[in-house]
Amino acid sequence: MSEFFVLLKKELRSITREKTIMLAIMVQFLIASLSSVILEGVMAFYDPGSIGWSTNVIIRAGFVGQTDSPMLTYLRDEKISTRSFPELATAEAAFRSGQIDTILIVPESQSGLVNMKLILPKMEAKRTVILVMLDKPLRRYEDYLREANGVMVNYKDFDSKPFSTYEFLYTVLIPILMLFPALIAGSIVIDAISEEFESKTLDTLISAPISAGQVFGAKISAAIITAFIQIVMWAGLLEWNGVSIDRLTLVLPLAASYAVTISLGAAIIALFFKDRQRAQFTYSMTLIAVGAASYFLDPSPLELLIKLSSGAPNISILGFALYMILPIAVGLAFFYLSGRRILTCS
Amino acid sequence: MTISKWELTRLRLRFGGRSKFVILAIVLLAIITSYLVYHQGMVPGKTLYTVGISFDAPAIVDQRFQVIRLDPEQGHVMLNQRTLDAYVDENGVTARDDGRSQYVKETLLEYLAKQDLLRIAKQYQRERAFPLRVEVVSLDRPEPGLSIGGEPPQEDTQAPLSPEPPASGESAPAVSVGLSEPALSAPDVIDAKVRQQLDTLENGGLAKLKEVVLSEPDIIIPSLTPPPMPLAQVMLVFSYVVPILFVAVFFASSFTEERVSRKLVILLSAPVSHLQVILGKMLPYLVYSWIVITVMTLIMGGNILLSLAIFTPVALLIFSAYMVVALMYRTFRDLTLFSVLVISVIMAYLVVPALLTGVSNLSYISPLTLAVEMYRGEAIAAKEYFLATVPLYLIFLQAMFIGTRVLNEEYLMGFKPLHVKIAEAIDLVVDRNHLNLSTFLSNFFLLPVVFIAQLTSIVFASNMPIPSSLWFLVIISATIEELAKSAVVFVLLKNGIVKTKIEVLRLSALSALGFFSGEKMLLLLALAVVSKSAFISAVFGGGLWVMPLVLHAVSTSVVSLITQHLGTKYYPLAITIGSIVHAAYNLYFVGVLG
Repeated sequence: MSEFFVLLKKELRSITREKTIMLAIMVQFLIASLSSVILEGVMAFYDPGSIGWSTNVIIRAGFVGQTDSPMLTYLRDEKISTRSFPELATAEAAFRSGQIDTILIVPESQSGLVNMKLILPKMEAKRTVILVMLDKPLRRYEDYLREANGVMVNYKDFDSKPFSTYEFLYTVLIPILMLFPALIAGSIVIDAISEEFESKTLDTLISAPISAGQVFGAKISAAIITAFIQIVMWAGLLEWNGVSIDRLTLVLPLAASYAVTISLGAAIIALFFKDRQRAQFTYSMTLIAVGAASYFLDPSPLELLIKLSSGAPNISILGFALYMILPIAVGLAFFYLSGRRILTCS
Repeated sequence: MTISKWELTRLRLRFGGRSKFVILAIVLLAIITSYLVYHQGMVPGKTLYTVGISFDAPAIVDQRFQVIRLDPEQGHVMLNQRTLDAYVDENGVTARDDGRSQYVKETLLEYLAKQDLLRIAKQYQRERAFPLRVEVVSLDRPEPGLSIGGEPPQEDTQAPLSPEPPASGESAPAVSVGLSEPALSAPDVIDAKVRQQLDTLENGGLAKLKEVVLSEPDIIIPSLTPPPMPLAQVMLVFSYVVPILFVAVFFASSFTEERVSRKLVILLSAPVSHLQVILGKMLPYLVYSWIVITVMTLIMGGNILLSLAIFTPVALLIFSAYMVVALMYRTFRDLTLFSVLVISVIMAYLVVPALLTGVSNLSYISPLTLAVEMYRGEAIAAKEYFLATVPLYLIFLQAMFIGTRVLNEEYLMGFKPLHVKIAEAIDLVVDRNHLNLSTFLSNFFLLPVVFIAQLTSIVFASNMPIPSSLWFLVIISATIEELAKSAVVFVLLKNGIVKTKIEVLRLSALSALGFFSGEKMLLLLALAVVSKSAFISAVFGGGLWVMPLVLHAVSTSVVSLITQHLGTKYYPLAITIGSIVHAAYNLYFVGVLG
């Protein structure tokens, strides 16, 4: 057993000395930041005000229609600068000389129906911004016309937001930070094992008084320990940033259990193929296949992690217990398969 | 060609035999399960929220909600016990004050609003339920503010609101007449649009994803037409990059395995040039990428030649990055982590500028913007294509050059810390017989890499609150530039190739000039796309040319002279001081402008 700890210490030392862990943390930090930048991008497009604020885009709209139209008020409410034109020709001249960015032609309602025309600059970047900023005034005007037609809607003036920060935090950010260390650990296990085969150093190691099982066990354990340190660190950092993981005492063991399962699965793949190219490719494909298939489980591993961390009331205790036992099952499979000389396959 | 054929054979052998069936089965399984999940509509937070509804309320059918029918009294008790997130009855949605419950309320309201639209669509005539139809008309107009020297455009100062259309306008009068007509599209065409958009709302938009995402609406029904989603467009075209990344992983693995098994060294002794070795190994993978691009374009219905023109430089960038990583790494573990880092950085470079599609012309830095335009059926101007792809081609050329120089046994087999490996690579890249030219060119070609690094630092900075993130960006950008500019001189000093102060100063000035030239070339290319007036003012505005060049020369000289004076051990200190000088200038400049 002491040989095992000597090997484990050696593996851990190499991970810290080569700054592998720093690199792993940097990668995850970049990915998490990138997803939050993307979210901000999405949010900006559902909050036209923030586009105007962050890019200093001022939309100047020309309006051709009745000057008492409620549409004018709705436009001004969204801080769109408006200018009324008595006829289209003058508005068009102003548009062509760049004094206004868009023209709204709002005819009078004909038996409750308004066929409006919206003139946008062709091939200009501002085009999308104009469309986004006009979204709310147009919806309000539509509701106004509906009411005039005697059609009542119960939920109006509603800002459509398909995804919000809350959902992003618990369904994207926390799962990324809790699962990525496990994915990286699996990859590291494959690298460590296939490197021994490819550089033919395994024979030298085994000629010492230690078994192949101890060598691989030390490598797998080192990767798992590294993953767990990262998981705890991310949880701490999230807490420090005011994002609380609700049932932390359950989330941490669950994330660790995923890391152990994935690392052992990766070890099986690496022992089977023995070269990095096939092993890493098969590992990625297996992750996709298992990840997608697990979506149909109730609860899926991802679902359970999301529910636990967001404090959802309906948690399946049986599901939690099963996912905690899973690493033992994969571990047994690993020992069984390596005992069956699957190592000799090439 | 022989090397390419050999590479193909190697791949065939590797993926042949018994393991072929295992890999094939797993790939098939991955495709089938992913398709099933896609088909079902993936919801990350499945049954994330538990919602109570009264017995008379209509059913809630949404994967995010787990729904329990309860009477109001029981519902409110459970809500307060936190076993429910929200409760819905005829009075509306009830929630607690905490963030989670309030968020669930908002999500429920959004769902109910959608159901309400479907209700009125069934209950009333379509003209009454959806009484506003907006027809979108696109008009060309001359570029605003076309003037020399950055003066305000004359049209703005005079602001003539001429009652008649411009006399000499090329297409103005005809359009004006067209616009005055009651409607451009026939009523039944508009009505068909309303029906189609209602169908999408009712059945979910997955089947028509491409249609919704890649085309702009010509008729807007405000409550039915989703606002344009530039991000979704970018993500859809990003799907091209994912399979290219897989191909690139194989390319990198091929390099590393042959390096470990020493086959690469044997190959180097063959009578072929280093460039032929690299290109020969790369060609099969490039062909695979072309096949992938063609297949994806066929599926998504785009222009194949244009897609190849847009994504080939992207593939070359990815291959370059992987090749450099494969040449520099020491262990497999390094290789994996560096590869993931490279993927993230490339993703930042491709996606972050493209997020500005439709907001700022700077989005043209990303080739993904070109692909979005292609799918929208818009014409792509040559200057836009060059801005998006020239930096990528430059990186590819640079990577090829570095690759051919470092491809030798001693370098490949050395197990040294990363910074030593980089220093060795610089030493091999610099031609000692043409020190001046080497220094100038290596800095010139380094610019796109520096630019990518700075863009990535923006992603990191996004985690900070506004004032500190700006400070961070100013300092980190200056540090990245100083590191890039002084690296060559540092290596030359370390290896004792340059010794005198005059030499150090001369090479620092050349580094600065090379970097500055690269910077200005990219800037001019960018400005040519953004607007003609900005381009002209940048070319003729003298002050903005001299000062940055002086700054680059001064800061690089500071770093190099300190390193020479104190010794290469103090390089980090020298970089810190140089960066402070650089950052101070940037802050002063921003302050002056502000």
